[in-house]
Amino acid sequence: MNPFIEIITQPDNIAIVIMIVMVTFFTIWGFQQAFQNDKLKASGYAVDGELDQDVDTFKPLVRIELIISLVVVLFLSIWSIAVDAPLEEIANPTITPNPAKAPWYFLGLQELLVYFDPWLAGVVLPTLIVVGLMAIPYIDINPKGNGYYTFAERKYAVIIFAFGFFILWLLLIVIGVFDRGPGWLWYWPWEEWDHQRVVFEPTRDLTQVIGIESRSIPGFIIGAIVVIGYYVAGMLLPLRHWRKNNPELLAQLGMIRYNLIMFLFVTMMSVPIKMVLRLVFLVKYVWITPWFNV
Amino acid sequence: MASENQNTTRLRAQIFAGLSIALLLLSAWVIWDDEFGLRPWKHYQKEYKALKHEKLDKEYQDALRDFKRSGGARRLEMLEKQLAKSEEAFKQKGVHEQYVKLNAQIDDLHAKMALSQKELQMVRGQYLETEYYFTKTQKPEYKKKMDELQRQIDAIDRSNKALIARDEPLMQQISKLTGGMDEIRAEIEAMKKALEERKEKMANNDKAPIEIKQYMIKDTDKADRCVSCHAGIESSAQVSKKQPYTKHPLGFVYLGKHDPGKFGCTFCHRGQGRATTTIEKAHGNVKHFAEPMLKGDMTQTSCLNCHGDIKNLRGAEKIAGNTELVKKYGCYSCHKIPGYEGMGDVGPELTNVGTKVNYSWAVKWLMDPKKYFSTARMPKFFFTQDQAEAIADYLFSMSGTTRHDVDYAANTPNEKLVEKGRSLWSQARCNLCHMTNGKGGNHIKVYAPDLSKVGSKANKTWLFNWIKDPNKYFPGTKMPRFRFTDEEITALVEYVVSEYQDDDAENSYTTQATIPAASIKKGKDLIQQYGCYGCHKIQGMEMVQVAPSLKSQGVTFLRNDEMREKIGTELSSIGSKPVDLLDFGKLKKAIPNDRLSYIKQKLRDPRGFRLGLRMPNFGLSEKEVNELAAVLYGFTDSNVPNRFLVPSRQELDRMAGVPGYKFTGDFAKVIADVKCTNCHSIKGIGADYAPDLSIVGSKLQEGWIRGFLANPDVIRPLMQQMPKLGLSGGVKPAKITMPRFNLGKQKVEDTNRSDVDVVMNYFQQELVTPDIPKDIPTVGDVAMSEQIAQGRKLYDQKGCVSCHQIGTDGGALGPNLTNVGNRLKPGFIFKHLENSRKFKPDIVEPNYGFTERERIFLTNYLMTLKLTAK
Amino acid sequence: MNSLYDKVKKNLIWKSVFRRDYRDTARNRAMAIFGNVFLHLHPVRVRESAVKLRYTWGMGGITFLAFIILTITGVVLMFYYHPTVDLAYLDMKDLEFQAPYGVISRNLHRWAAHFMVIVVMIHMFRVFMTGSYKAPRQFNWGIGVILLVLTFLLSFTGYLLPWDQLGFWAITVGTNMGAATPLIGYQGPFSEFLHITPYNDIRFALLGGAQVGGNALLRSYIWHCIAIPLISVILMFVHFWRVRKDGGISRPQH
Repeated sequence: MNPFIEIITQPDNIAIVIMIVMVTFFTIWGFQQAFQNDKLKASGYAVDGELDQDVDTFKPLVRIELIISLVVVLFLSIWSIAVDAPLEEIANPTITPNPAKAPWYFLGLQELLVYFDPWLAGVVLPTLIVVGLMAIPYIDINPKGNGYYTFAERKYAVIIFAFGFFILWLLLIVIGVFDRGPGWLWYWPWEEWDHQRVVFEPTRDLTQVIGIESRSIPGFIIGAIVVIGYYVAGMLLPLRHWRKNNPELLAQLGMIRYNLIMFLFVTMMSVPIKMVLRLVFLVKYVWITPWFNV
Repeated sequence: MASENQNTTRLRAQIFAGLSIALLLLSAWVIWDDEFGLRPWKHYQKEYKALKHEKLDKEYQDALRDFKRSGGARRLEMLEKQLAKSEEAFKQKGVHEQYVKLNAQIDDLHAKMALSQKELQMVRGQYLETEYYFTKTQKPEYKKKMDELQRQIDAIDRSNKALIARDEPLMQQISKLTGGMDEIRAEIEAMKKALEERKEKMANNDKAPIEIKQYMIKDTDKADRCVSCHAGIESSAQVSKKQPYTKHPLGFVYLGKHDPGKFGCTFCHRGQGRATTTIEKAHGNVKHFAEPMLKGDMTQTSCLNCHGDIKNLRGAEKIAGNTELVKKYGCYSCHKIPGYEGMGDVGPELTNVGTKVNYSWAVKWLMDPKKYFSTARMPKFFFTQDQAEAIADYLFSMSGTTRHDVDYAANTPNEKLVEKGRSLWSQARCNLCHMTNGKGGNHIKVYAPDLSKVGSKANKTWLFNWIKDPNKYFPGTKMPRFRFTDEEITALVEYVVSEYQDDDAENSYTTQATIPAASIKKGKDLIQQYGCYGCHKIQGMEMVQVAPSLKSQGVTFLRNDEMREKIGTELSSIGSKPVDLLDFGKLKKAIPNDRLSYIKQKLRDPRGFRLGLRMPNFGLSEKEVNELAAVLYGFTDSNVPNRFLVPSRQELDRMAGVPGYKFTGDFAKVIADVKCTNCHSIKGIGADYAPDLSIVGSKLQEGWIRGFLANPDVIRPLMQQMPKLGLSGGVKPAKITMPRFNLGKQKVEDTNRSDVDVVMNYFQQELVTPDIPKDIPTVGDVAMSEQIAQGRKLYDQKGCVSCHQIGTDGGALGPNLTNVGNRLKPGFIFKHLENSRKFKPDIVEPNYGFTERERIFLTNYLMTLKLTAK
Repeated sequence: MNSLYDKVKKNLIWKSVFRRDYRDTARNRAMAIFGNVFLHLHPVRVRESAVKLRYTWGMGGITFLAFIILTITGVVLMFYYHPTVDLAYLDMKDLEFQAPYGVISRNLHRWAAHFMVIVVMIHMFRVFMTGSYKAPRQFNWGIGVILLVLTFLLSFTGYLLPWDQLGFWAITVGTNMGAATPLIGYQGPFSEFLHITPYNDIRFALLGGAQVGGNALLRSYIWHCIAIPLISVILMFVHFWRVRKDGGISRPQH
């Protein structure tokens, strides 16, 4: 069978295909409404729903709920009749499948393991994601765009969220499901997996690029400077920029909020930066300490 | 906007209704699917029941027709009429009263009889007690009492007999009275019963519930539901030849010995016993299930799971034959296989091979043994010319410093010697084991090399030394040491070398050339890399592969073969190895990714999976591939419960602390020399190529054995001499007789005794059984001559002549009896006539059930059959 | 016909069950909502935007529906399942081959679980896109994030229960990440300062052992079937209650 068909028709992967279809559909629908509302606002009209009246819950809402329930139950039933839940061989601790993949919704994190040590990819980053998500209402002080789809009124918030949601979360999941084969090596979905394939990628640490041993004291110091410098610069540069151009915003945010936003943002951006370093420059670690490596 | 737009409302209501109907239909389908779609066994069971009903019905109708046709029906009618008449008569006045009276008399009589019986027992008890005291004390009063009691016993006995005499007429009277009603009733019952039983069978079949049937096997996780579809598998009569309704082939062996309730199906057949939904799932031909069902002969591979000894196992004939291949090719030399430990080396020792063969031959052989001899057992290692030379260089360097060939082709042989050698060759029956020019070599299990080209391979000096004492060069060889004189050996060697030349031999080193040092090093590396020492002993190579675990304990040298780590993968559980652990390499797409396909492909083309594999190619035929794969598939670390295991005799003996039989004394030396056990089995040791000698001492007369050893002759023209196993198919052997080993010409090593005397002594002392008497009983009342005449009459009456030959008369199926009086001991004949299967379970001779007297007569007659020495 | 209608509807039993008739009056519409324990989660009247599919996409409701389906099928599956190493896998096989409606129950459970994870993520996306986390709904967003994590954990703990290679290694990989937790995972940074070993770290606590085994299976089972659903249900009620108390489905302010 064609490897592409084979991989997307694996029972568990059908869920991913469904996810891709659904996410694409709702993304388009959401942004379409956002742009429509932006247009309405720009022309001075009320946005969708602004002029709505109250209606009886019974039956309009109840009926819609029942219709959706029926659709969902039908959909799941047909799915369940068409595709059997997978059951592989009995668990055997002595046979490690290659690749051993986590459940699909955690494959984004497993993918991060390529770029970060497990304590970062598996623990620190997920924790920050949850904390960051919960912090959103408290750090997003933009009062506009509450209760309707909009893009123009909250550009930065939407772009940053979309980046995190689509690229760092969903895309990494899709890569993990479809593009990772034995040895966690990259395979296009139409490529045949080759269990014998060995890819030798000589990786190095950042300081080794400029000729300094990363496990030496100078290497340690330079690494520390780079990492800490990245955070300091990432948090100071926007501060300077806004002080000059938009001091009111800064005043509204306050120091605590500003620091929280920028810390989370800089951390988030460290993920694609590290990915580029690893994939393009073959850099494994930036900073090596006796206790952990970054 | 207080309420919805009317149109929207209607549309939504329609959608809602449509969806509801769709869900309803879907639910109906789910219910149908769960009831029927996923339960195909319901259909199968129904169809089986219908087929069985049809069959039973037909049987019933047939029986009914037979019953009618054979007059059964008429007789039944008549009986019923008779019964009615008798019943009518019985009802007449007075008859019944008489009947009751008679019955009362009989009851009374029977009660009396019982009482008297009891009394008799009591008195007898007293008598025995008294007798005991009397024998103990010898006091006369006990004797007196005994006489008294005996009188009492006699009295009771007498009265008893009188009672019994009264019983008979009473019973007759009763019978007359009832007009034989009871007997008629019994007969009617019996006649009806035969038909009723058939009807009942049919009713039971119709009543049988349609349900999942399964065998749950105790202490395992098995639940074999195979019988849910294979409904007729256990029945003894075939209901239908259609699958899945057939009965189990050879069911009385496989199911008879392995009650399915205790063993289930999947221990032998594998497959997914729990599955009931589709054939593919049940038979295990699905993804994520590694044990596809075994069918047909392949199933015999499972016998190996439990049976330690499958040699004479009914139903395991195929797999037993296949295991021979493991021995033939010596798989255990490179792979660890349980049950094949300590088998000895497959190939000859190579330490001094430089003194034996031509260098050019060695190189040619190393490169492709099969090209040299198509029957060669040695596999092809795909060595290049350079590599083959390097290996030959290393081997030759152990016994010398040069590459050298000897070429006899140009020599003119000594014709006189050659002629003498030729006759020795046939006397010693070298062709029995060794093949030459496509002839001979019938005794394949000793795997003697083909000698067609030996004259261009080995040199005369070596051949001389080899024949003189094979053990010296290759301890453990199967080649016997014939007791030839040196002159005889010289003649034999001259014959062999002149007769068996290789026309294609290229002897490039008739002038010696020094071995290059670099080549030796390279050869040694190659030998280590490819593990030649697995099959051949090569001095200095025993310590090469010390297991890493032992190395860490400081062990650097191992002498014990079993401790040596084998070069190949351990095969002890290859038949259950997870498919994920099998490396299909570049054939991943080319062949099915299952275990059996892997094993077969590995045997066909061992190095085909990827580069860097070391296993050589044995050039197996597809038949051999299948047979060997079947054996390998049976090597499992199976989850068979211990209670199923049937250890081999040797294992049982070992567990019980019984030492295996060992030859002792000088006889052991003779055996090691002459290798009797190559062909004969003695006390469980050896092959079944020639007669078993375990009780030869009780069976054969010493004089005859001596004569036979000196000049072996045909005893049995057809049977026995024709080996039962191991013949290449269809080849009918010419008369095969024992080689002449020239026993008696030499003394046994380190002793003063003749080897024949040692053998005879051991036969008479050790290889005897107490079951066979030395002499037969005598019959005093008949004269000997009369006995012999009687015996002869019996011989003619019972038709012995149809199988046995005396002189030139008679059949050839049994042994020739012309000289039996000189050959067999009378005790053996006497016992053999009593139960011919006792000493030879597979004999064809019928059991005639002779009386002891008849046997004595026959034996005495047979003992007169003697050929007088000329 | 009419008398039959009267007989059915005009008796004590019918009236005790149905408090109102079917006429479409304002009172009946209101009664339908607050007279029904399930429906009274809704207010009697809602803003029209709450009814529009294009606004909410129904994702929150679908998530809840998926949860209900999972609860029902999950209870069915629990009847056939033993959380032990010896039996778990065989129970899966029997579910497929012998249990009535076993195949459809297990399939529904598995696919509804995947579906719920997908839907809950889209729900979060919708809430973000409409800015519905903004005042006064900040707290409810936080609850939502926790519910998202609980959904992942529900699915994750369920993954091990069939005791097949897929689940076993997915859980092994997943929990191995836990071993890298700073301070309390034995492979994590600074763990040596706390004398953390494979036998006293966070992973050991999760699995009830140093490897995925019988204890891990039991723990998964209890987390999956009792603990996490219980926590989820409680938080769901808080979530739903806050939706209503924070002013219903969000809508543009004037």
